[in-house]
Amino acid sequence: MKMIRGYPDYMRESIERVERTRAERLKTPYPPMSLAEREVLLHRFHPDFREEQKRPIAFGPSRGLKVNHELANVIESHPLVPSTLNLSQVDYQVDVLIIGGGGAGTVAAIWAVQEGIHPEKVLIATKLRHGDSNSTMAQGGIQAADRENDSPLIHYLDAMGGGHFTNKPELVQALVSDAPRIIKWHESLGVMYDKDEAGNFVENPGGGTSRKRLHSAKDYTGLEIMRVVRDESRNLSVPVIEFAPAVELLMDERGQVAGAVLLNLETKEYVVVRAKATILATGGFGRLHMQGFPTTNHYGATGDGLVLAYHVGAELVDLDSVQYHPTGAAFPPQIAGLLITEKVRGMGATPVNADGELFVYPLEPRDVESSAFIRECYDREKGVITPTGMRGVWLDAPMIDMIHGEGAIREALPAMWRMYERFGIDMTRDPILVFPTLHYQNGGIAIDVDGATTVPGLFVGGEASGGVHGKNRLMGNSLLDFNVFGMRAGISAARYARQVEVGHLSLAHVDRYEELLKDAGIVTDRTSPVLLPEYRGKEALERQLDVLI
Amino acid sequence: MDIKYYPGCTVKTSARNYEASAIAALRYLGVELSELEQWNCCGVVHTLSTDDLMKQLAPIRVLKHVEQCEEREEVVTLCDMCYNTLSQANRLVKDDPAKLKTVNTFMECDDSHGGYTGTVRVVHLLQVLRDTIGFQAIKKKVKYPLRGMKVFPYYGCMLLRPGEVGIDTPEDPTIIGDLMRALGAEVIDDPVKIECCGSHHTVGDRSIVFERIERIIGRARSKGAEAVVLSCPLCRFNLDTRQQEDRTIELPLPVFYYTQLMGVAFGLDEAVLGLNEHRIDPRPLLREIGYQKKGEYGRITT
Amino acid sequence: MTIHVHEQVHRPRVSDQGFDARTPKVRIYLMGKEYQVPNVLTIMAAIEYAGYRLVRGCGCRAGFCGACSTIYRKTDDYKLYSALACQTLVEEGMYLVQIPFVPAVKSLYDMEEITLTDNVILRYYPEIARCVSCNTCTRSCPQGIRVMDYIQASLRGNIARAAHLSFDCIQCGLCSSRCPADIKHYHVGQLVRRVYETRIAPKSPHLARRIEELDSGVYDEEMNRLMTSSLSELKQRYESRKIEPVSED
Repeated sequence: MKMIRGYPDYMRESIERVERTRAERLKTPYPPMSLAEREVLLHRFHPDFREEQKRPIAFGPSRGLKVNHELANVIESHPLVPSTLNLSQVDYQVDVLIIGGGGAGTVAAIWAVQEGIHPEKVLIATKLRHGDSNSTMAQGGIQAADRENDSPLIHYLDAMGGGHFTNKPELVQALVSDAPRIIKWHESLGVMYDKDEAGNFVENPGGGTSRKRLHSAKDYTGLEIMRVVRDESRNLSVPVIEFAPAVELLMDERGQVAGAVLLNLETKEYVVVRAKATILATGGFGRLHMQGFPTTNHYGATGDGLVLAYHVGAELVDLDSVQYHPTGAAFPPQIAGLLITEKVRGMGATPVNADGELFVYPLEPRDVESSAFIRECYDREKGVITPTGMRGVWLDAPMIDMIHGEGAIREALPAMWRMYERFGIDMTRDPILVFPTLHYQNGGIAIDVDGATTVPGLFVGGEASGGVHGKNRLMGNSLLDFNVFGMRAGISAARYARQVEVGHLSLAHVDRYEELLKDAGIVTDRTSPVLLPEYRGKEALERQLDVLI
Repeated sequence: MDIKYYPGCTVKTSARNYEASAIAALRYLGVELSELEQWNCCGVVHTLSTDDLMKQLAPIRVLKHVEQCEEREEVVTLCDMCYNTLSQANRLVKDDPAKLKTVNTFMECDDSHGGYTGTVRVVHLLQVLRDTIGFQAIKKKVKYPLRGMKVFPYYGCMLLRPGEVGIDTPEDPTIIGDLMRALGAEVIDDPVKIECCGSHHTVGDRSIVFERIERIIGRARSKGAEAVVLSCPLCRFNLDTRQQEDRTIELPLPVFYYTQLMGVAFGLDEAVLGLNEHRIDPRPLLREIGYQKKGEYGRITT
Repeated sequence: MTIHVHEQVHRPRVSDQGFDARTPKVRIYLMGKEYQVPNVLTIMAAIEYAGYRLVRGCGCRAGFCGACSTIYRKTDDYKLYSALACQTLVEEGMYLVQIPFVPAVKSLYDMEEITLTDNVILRYYPEIARCVSCNTCTRSCPQGIRVMDYIQASLRGNIARAAHLSFDCIQCGLCSSRCPADIKHYHVGQLVRRVYETRIAPKSPHLARRIEELDSGVYDEEMNRLMTSSLSELKQRYESRKIEPVSED
């Protein structure tokens, strides 16, 4: 197969067709869909509507919620630890335990300290390293209505409409009203958002936003926020245990959550943490690979928080919907499924099919945009088929430099440029091939505006929570979410910790969960949370001996 | 005329007024001094320590940028230390192709640019004034001659030694004095002008520096000097800051960079020349000669 | 007490990264031991293909987190190379080892107490003065950042330059693992950027105004109306939004 600047020659022919329509596409925009048109498209093409891929949860407070089999499997699994686990040795005794060291967890830690908890009485436990998270990988930006032609009201409407009006209004109200304050807080911490010389933020539109509202830090927005809040948390000397995911929550005899059992991933020892308040900030579930989709998520995103919360009786909401980001890389295969930030479309690149035709408004909400891509590839058969059999549509990246001037891609999208350059493709000259990829857990553990769940002592912030985004999150509302609800969970957990009395540590809820499994007639050897996905080579696994060494 | 100059760290921090006044003074002369786009410490710290090639990396890397990235044959330094360091490193590798190759082998894998081939001339700004622009041309540009002002040009070490890189006669340099005469000042001369100021002992043992400056200032004052003029930021630190700290010196002498006095003679603004950043305030002396008053400067001397 | 962690298989549709039995293989050496792997794999995928279950040395798998720092040499090549395992293809004869952790002590500081002086960074990281300009940091950076240049800029107090030069840093630590002067470059970059944004970058004028409006309750009444309006009313308002065009600045 002959390769020309990163693409096989037959794909080059399609690229030439894309180049021929470029000038016309720059002039003539494609109209957005009406709400009714969106509904029709979603029902026909969005993966959420593939009935055979889903089943209702069999028991518990969210019984009947139809979720993907991959998620149902980890919920309908045996807990990892037995109720008889010896809890007599308490390794850490803290006021606030935060499970998850990504954006939400770190923000929660900072605000718990601000709220008066001594840093030594806070503990972050995290599965990988402090900061290894989807937060770090978020590229495009964070929404906050701070420009003059914008307002929190418009932000509210955009978020509700994007979520098909299924979001919890009070959570959206908190999200949009806190947004400018979060940006101000970031400014005071030293987050380097893109600004002009007068200090105005450079703001772009995103899918489903009616205003330019996305604050970005090149295309390393999540990384920049994460590394600054992590630095701040380190300055405050908040203790962190890395490579120590929670495998089960602890409760007391009054039904309050009272800490967790952690697992040292290296020594496989368990660690008992007794806490007055516990915050789940475990992020999303992309690495469960719903319906076999590739994902943009980090290695540890296996939905552990959902499982842990369900074990103690918390409610799960909106998990019937999953966010597929329209622009995952489809070529080359080494980066298949990785995120191509929505900022690429926000800056003017349009999606086009194999014939160079623009077929959808480039900035529909993500579920709508993704559905349109799937339709183009699998219904209209106008996608480009890669040498490994993947299908995708073009994202015409060179338009960005034509709109914003030469060098705009290198300046505003260095991560994207770098990723393609590593595999021999120059996105300032050539379009890139994309297809929807599993991106975000729209729903999650039900919370109130304080990040509190229905279970006393258990708080949630960030992607693990549900209700804020309804059935579909808008771009730029997840970085915002982990800041707003990380902060709110941190503050409320600190206040709660000051007045609560914790009794005897217990794992009795594990037995109750086993009862529920049994009553629902589930017979399985599955256990959860799963902690890490399995990517070892088939050939190697087939010859592995189960030898204890 | 457009001159690329290498500022050096000191000029960017504690000797900002040197840089600002140089830029202003040269701009007045129709010369644009523009800073190298990419540069690093000249490496003085290491060239002063032990003898191995590692310490030549920094200066050679600077020269490589001049030659390979900026495609220039000449680079101008302001700071004497930087001048000396870059010049000596340049000489070393020009004279020893094997060493040049060793340094290049290390550096060539840095980026796509080629290695240093040894074509760059390292020049001190004083040389530009003397050899390129010319003191006579400068004299013609003087608006307010420093008439009646008695200045003592101090050279120290780095401009002159070793002789191979010195910009003037090592035993009796006149370059700063000649410039001062062109500006209309009266030049006080004394052999102490080439003696060391105490240099880096200023960090470890100030008494050495005190001993040096007491001698230098004492000799200059005994000959009637009202000010010291020099070109090296470290000498400036020792002669200005340390002089002010030296309790035994009752009547301290203000210390100027030559570029500042050029600015004064050209009638440039006090703020641009950074005259407020001295430890020993030179402004009373300047007021005496009428600086920034209307009409000509100058003091009636008898 | 033994806990059996049941490992479930969650294999993505494209996890095979587009190879089959006919794909040519290359020899790589993981900590000296030879493995044959398909030549289309990234280093990370190759390590997994060989049968390793990664715990350390694997984070975002997309080039953003810096968990998969890897160093390698190639047969008949004297240089030591560095790379992100998730973003680099295997090559014949690579001798690989991962460096998933680089010890690097971070200075503790209170941002509010930092004053902007020429030597502000030196005060917290005095070792930057030991930089010999060897440029090994720049050469080892998998992001292609001019690391030495931002250390040099920090040294001379040029905070803005250092902040912008260091911006794309993913804090993998490869620079600090190889520095002969023991500089903790990525921590220096972190401080420099925070100092830049808090002390030098201009502040947003709109933001302060919007927060004042929020604090004074300007939006409360309308927000309440929105929150309590019927679905059809909300849809109607949603559909009548004016969309700000992309290119209009």
